[in-house]
Amino acid sequence: MGSESTTAPNLRDEKPQNPDSVKAMDVNGQVAEGDSTKEIPTKSVFVNSEPMREEQVQNAVKFLSHPKVRGSPVIYRRSFLEKKGLTKEEIDEAFRRVPDPPPTVTNVQATATSQDSQLKPSTNLQTQIQGQAPQPAAVPSGAASALATLPRTKFHWSHALLAIGFLAVSGAGSAIVFKNAVVPRLKSWIRKVVLEEEDESVKRNLSKPSLAEEAAAAAKAAAAAAADVARASQEMLNSKNEEKKYFETFMSVLDVQVAEMKSMSNAIRKLEAKGEQHSQSVSRNGPSNTSWSASHASQEDSRGFMEGFKQAKVNGTVDFDSGSGRPMSAPASMEPSVAPHPKSYMEIMAMVQRGEKPPGIKEINDLPPNPNQPPSNPRLAPRMKPWEVGQAQNSSSYTLQSQTSGENSSYKVEDNGSASQLNGYSSEPWWQRKNVRISEIEDENDQRIASYGIVPVANERPVQRTWVPPQPPPVSMPEAAAAIRQPKSIIQKEQPSNDQVMERSSDEVDELQRITKLSELGGEVDLNNSGKNLEISEIQEEQSGIEGN
Amino acid sequence: MPVFKTPFNGYAVKFSPFYENRLAVATSQNFGILGNGRVHVLDLTPAGPIAEFCAFETADGVYDCTWSEDNDNLLVTAVADGSVKLWDLALPPTANPIRSLHEHSREVHSVDWNPVRRDSFLTSSWDDTVKLWTVDRPASVRTFKEHAYCVYSSVWNPRHADVFASASGDCTVRIWDVREPASTMILPAHEFEILSCDWNKYDDCVIATASVDKSIKVWDVRSFRVPISVLQGHTYAVRRVKFSPHRDSLIASCSYDMTVCLWDYRVEDALVGRYDHHTEFAVGVDMSVLVEGLLATTGWDELVYVWQHGTDPRAP
Repeated sequence: MGSESTTAPNLRDEKPQNPDSVKAMDVNGQVAEGDSTKEIPTKSVFVNSEPMREEQVQNAVKFLSHPKVRGSPVIYRRSFLEKKGLTKEEIDEAFRRVPDPPPTVTNVQATATSQDSQLKPSTNLQTQIQGQAPQPAAVPSGAASALATLPRTKFHWSHALLAIGFLAVSGAGSAIVFKNAVVPRLKSWIRKVVLEEEDESVKRNLSKPSLAEEAAAAAKAAAAAAADVARASQEMLNSKNEEKKYFETFMSVLDVQVAEMKSMSNAIRKLEAKGEQHSQSVSRNGPSNTSWSASHASQEDSRGFMEGFKQAKVNGTVDFDSGSGRPMSAPASMEPSVAPHPKSYMEIMAMVQRGEKPPGIKEINDLPPNPNQPPSNPRLAPRMKPWEVGQAQNSSSYTLQSQTSGENSSYKVEDNGSASQLNGYSSEPWWQRKNVRISEIEDENDQRIASYGIVPVANERPVQRTWVPPQPPPVSMPEAAAAIRQPKSIIQKEQPSNDQVMERSSDEVDELQRITKLSELGGEVDLNNSGKNLEISEIQEEQSGIEGN
Repeated sequence: MPVFKTPFNGYAVKFSPFYENRLAVATSQNFGILGNGRVHVLDLTPAGPIAEFCAFETADGVYDCTWSEDNDNLLVTAVADGSVKLWDLALPPTANPIRSLHEHSREVHSVDWNPVRRDSFLTSSWDDTVKLWTVDRPASVRTFKEHAYCVYSSVWNPRHADVFASASGDCTVRIWDVREPASTMILPAHEFEILSCDWNKYDDCVIATASVDKSIKVWDVRSFRVPISVLQGHTYAVRRVKFSPHRDSLIASCSYDMTVCLWDYRVEDALVGRYDHHTEFAVGVDMSVLVEGLLATTGWDELVYVWQHGTDPRAP
């Protein structure tokens, strides 16, 4: 990004006819803001513009108001609601409506909202710097709150389990009690009626059928009442079931956490017990492995597998010099069947869980020998992407393409040279499409041509190169040339910039020509040390040299 | 088509944006469970075989790699010990790595370089966070912490310099704008863990997500309640998904069912190609930006294949 300002003065010297690009290059911030102002109308696409759905918010409020849910960390509550498809707005509104969110997490939310006001103005870099400061603060506070709620949540999980059990039992019990209470009453009532009828039947023979009818009607009414009661109790159960389902999914998430915690404590115990045991044995225990792999290969249900995964994955969190296990966490899913892992994978998992270290692991020091080592200068300019070409061609300010497209032949040689570096191969390599139309190749080369002419991030290259040297294929030449080169030019070379890449290639060839000139003319060439001017002066000198000859 | 055998299990491949015959391969010993790692830089030769340009070893497995977009020598790797390492190919191996950025507290699962700004990159980790870095800074520029579970992948939008998407094991995809304090959109894309996502290079609002539920869903973020398309066909979890840089509706995917599939999501019968050359989980896939139709894949069978779409990857 800093490259634009350093090359701007040079460009101004040479090509006064491109004020637009110079202005654009004047201040980095302007360029960035130009980008962002362009972005703002389209940026809104990546923001959720749905209106808040009241129904979803109310469901969420019900969910959040439940005492069991209150005890869980906020991030899991939010994650649950997000998975249900609520937008951030809706979730925030639900949280607002539910009184008294836990104090530990308000820090995180407060910092998030305070960032909102801080980050609106100024350039991107500044926003990033400001954003970084509250973010690390938020992260440790969030982590601390998570840790703090862990001991509490333990109690709440068991409480929650008990409570749900209680609910279920009470619901069932009340239904049973209802039935038991009502039905005997009805039965006794029916019996009374029947007895009365029997008594009366002796007295009233005529009214027997009517009595029977009455009894039947009474029985029907009783049955209807019983049915009503049954229905009512069923409805109660159903509503309870619905609520249960709603919580079950939540509880399953919590269950996973419980399992993880259990396995983590188990693993810690295990590791403490088997701390120093690291057998270097190469032999793979046959029977135990086959039993292991057989049991897992046949296992469709991933429950036990997942336990193994989680345990070993959790091992990864335990900082352990001799190494701890770490499996793929990705396939640890509930319902989709787990892909059968290779046998040797099973063996290694088994070894790791036993605490053994698999063979062949070397001690490697992969720390940087010089953490402040500057990266090497790039040798190539970034190329335009295929999807950006369409955009560039649409923009009217680019005059380069018409000019540079005339340079087809020289660029083709360049491209092939760069592609098949040291081979000098002129025919197409096998990885190019064999059945492709010739026009496609032309298009590809056009893209590359455009890329050489266009520097990325809305920077224009106003320098019209009337003559561009072909890139020298062997890369080692610049080093050799540098050895003969005078010291001044080396300082120039070390200016890091994207533009520098093109300059380098021209510099290299210029150096070569200078060297040949030196040998020819036997004299020193006067170097003009401003970047681009070097090339122009070289051309001039060359011309004069030729003329002189 | 040549094949390259890596000593360790493959995890990721990436074509270089500068050299059409160059690619990087991230590998981990012992399937990434426990062991060393190695990142290979391979060169395709016109004569046929794949040559190794250089390789760098790490103490822990390498889960992902990416090339710099403004420096053809720079390679970034995501390492399982939580560090992010930068390698300079122009320096000898003894001078490498030039940076080791260790801020994540868990395994770093993916790394992606910004193709528009070209000066920054993202790393996503199993510690539920995504971090933004630039090469010139020793510390991360920003940390994005909102996911409730491992973040498996984060990918920059190909046209908007500050927008990226992250896919997580908490079954959501989040869209972020680096200039905003929090995520700007949440897509509850699948019922199960989402392992990968990628943007359509030609339609900046279309995103594909790949999940453990064996499906790939294509979404338009402007109407994200219902996917544009659901691509079924894999028989196990889909590990990685990649939009073609050359054709606007072509998607490449690799899966634990050991196959690599190509899809056209605008077509009724979406599956347009299937390759089953791998004999273990196919874990890494990439489509070359410089050469249309060139595919590379790697898997736990320790092989790297590079071939043209339409040809047989195993053909000699």
